[in-house]
Amino acid sequence: MHAQAPAAPHRTTPRSSWFTIPEPLRLVFKQFPLVTYAPNELPIRSPSNRELPVLYVFASDQDALKGLPSYNPLCLKWQTFLKLAGVQFRIAPSSNHASPTGALPFLIPASSPTDAASQTPIPSNKLERYALERGSEKLADTAGSKLDAYQALVDNRIRNAWLYALYLSPGNYALLSELYVEPCSASTVVRTTIMHKLRRAAETEVLRSIGAPRVPPTALYIGAEQAFEALSAALGSDKWFFGSSRPGLFDAAVFAYTHLLLDDRLEWIDTRLRDSLLKFPALVEHREKLLSRCWGYENE
Amino acid sequence: MELHVWGEAFGLPSIDPECLAAISYMGHVVPQKDWSVVASNDVSVSPDYVLPALHHDGIWTSGYLSIVQYLAAHTSFSSADGDLTEAQRADALAYASYLSSRGSALLSFFLYVSPSAWTELTRPAYSSLLRFPLTWTVPLKLRSAAIAKTEHLGLDHLAADIDPEDGSSESKATAPLTATGFLRLPTRPSVSDSMQPEQAAAIRLQSLLEDFFLTLDELRGNDTYFFGDVKPTSLDFLAFGYLRLLRVRTPHPFVERCMSRNPAGSRLIKFLDTLQTEVIQWKDGQIQGTLPWTQPASQSLVNMTSRFADDATEHIPGVGDSWKSWRGDGVKDSGEMRDPTQVLLAIGAAVAGLAAVGGAVVFKALSPFGGATHRWEAPKSGLYQFGDIGAIFNSLPGFDAPVTPASIPSPMERDTVYQGEKVEVAVDVEP
Repeated sequence: MHAQAPAAPHRTTPRSSWFTIPEPLRLVFKQFPLVTYAPNELPIRSPSNRELPVLYVFASDQDALKGLPSYNPLCLKWQTFLKLAGVQFRIAPSSNHASPTGALPFLIPASSPTDAASQTPIPSNKLERYALERGSEKLADTAGSKLDAYQALVDNRIRNAWLYALYLSPGNYALLSELYVEPCSASTVVRTTIMHKLRRAAETEVLRSIGAPRVPPTALYIGAEQAFEALSAALGSDKWFFGSSRPGLFDAAVFAYTHLLLDDRLEWIDTRLRDSLLKFPALVEHREKLLSRCWGYENE
Repeated sequence: MELHVWGEAFGLPSIDPECLAAISYMGHVVPQKDWSVVASNDVSVSPDYVLPALHHDGIWTSGYLSIVQYLAAHTSFSSADGDLTEAQRADALAYASYLSSRGSALLSFFLYVSPSAWTELTRPAYSSLLRFPLTWTVPLKLRSAAIAKTEHLGLDHLAADIDPEDGSSESKATAPLTATGFLRLPTRPSVSDSMQPEQAAAIRLQSLLEDFFLTLDELRGNDTYFFGDVKPTSLDFLAFGYLRLLRVRTPHPFVERCMSRNPAGSRLIKFLDTLQTEVIQWKDGQIQGTLPWTQPASQSLVNMTSRFADDATEHIPGVGDSWKSWRGDGVKDSGEMRDPTQVLLAIGAAVAGLAAVGGAVVFKALSPFGGATHRWEAPKSGLYQFGDIGAIFNSLPGFDAPVTPASIPSPMERDTVYQGEKVEVAVDVEP
């Protein structure tokens, strides 16, 4: 009560209110006048156009500008699928650390000023529904039960051989380094560490998938060749998988591996996996058809 | 021809789906006099560290599909897959891949991750298969591998609050103390707390199981077997291996329940019954009589100890990975040179580990820092003065301690450290 009594007259006199700056401080501010600089420009890589949804993938800056295929099979699968579904989107280079789920790809939908939730990232496991809702093309019905079985073939046998070929095969060190290590850092120490971690992670992944403590690489390559053979037989003389008139999600999943193995821009030194694939012309043809469908103008 | 497998459990010839499939397939294809089953329960018998493993003419083949291919290519027994078309072969490979990824993940959850099934069923089964010190290491290794397998199903978090040592899940209500030692107030259990992990997972698990059954059932269609009505193929036996183990009766038999309610699942039950009664050689309840069992070569104590030490070394932090790599684990050619830096690293890590353990032992043996090394003893009076013999006689009746006035110095050296008017502090110092 005592404290409030003297405060009351203070409020009535504006001369000495709380908001007047004390004289000594005012002198200091007069010595150093406040200068407002022009705002910094946004970084060049920041999205300039928010009208389109952006798919974040592993890609180099130049490739991303041109919308070329990503060099990561999972990213390429979804990139291809979105194109097949007729979704208009851009791609942007990114890394696992940027993803809300810890793995690429993810998609940020086009921003709309009225809807705050429109900027919620869509992880890869929800991309299929997104593409089917937003896409302009009607796609093949993917509910077929054989799809699950053949998807297991791609996700186990072919993926394991891919992981060995790219990450663990000593011949392809240079390629791995060029794709995944060099963009991260210029420091040798950091690069060595990243390389080591990547290779350990790939090895763990293969061993877990096979379920054995040691696996000879030849077994992985033989497994992948059998898988290619089965895929080739399943494709038969059809244009797309499972006798569909239009390419679907599974075509994109197969293309993601076959394209990267056959792409001349990637310099494979250990070409065992690529050689196995070349034995099956149906798959090579499938890749070319899908490439010209999605990236027709690139293909000379 | 010897087939090495994981041994029998739950009334079935093997605890492992691929071993069960291999036993059933071999029983169907190979005459009984030409082969034998060995329950070796040791993955290290085969060079690939995988069971089932077939040993024939000095050649080891491991894994179900490889064994089927080997039998077709290198022996005179007619293969069950001989009549398949190219497209059917492709389907068979794809479905085998599906079974060994999705099927084995579901089975891992059902028998290994699920805490009640693990403590009441699977772990005891392994305990009866393995000999004493190995029961401490091998089942735990298998379980952690199973947990890793179920990761992509989104069910592995259920194992998180389960103590991997004994598989018992630490209930939230029985921990009376918080980490700081205060009494924990009993929390009112919510619905999700009071559910068993199996029940919490049931909703997601049910849709996974239904997908699994539907996928398998659609390939089979209205036929008796996966490819036609005439004869079973290798895929039928593989599916049998997985589905039969999924039907094992556990404390929470949700798979069985889901299977009988689901139309695709109940058709698969019929398929299993047909296969069991008409094709498969071994019969429920008479596993010993209907299969050509051979006793595994008895393991020496040295061998067992080294397996145990090997498993234990894997778990030493910092050393385990180098040790595994040095032992030859990983994805590499067997001929690939062992990296000399790896050897140095492993030796260095082992020495550092030993030094750390030694240091810890020495540290524990040291007396507390700052404490002087004094020894205090009760003053010796009575017959205690005469050493151990005296101590024995002192307790006898009639040898009551003679009255020794405090003023009489004891035979030990006596040192007065403080003497006031009425108080005298004396310290006996033992020479």
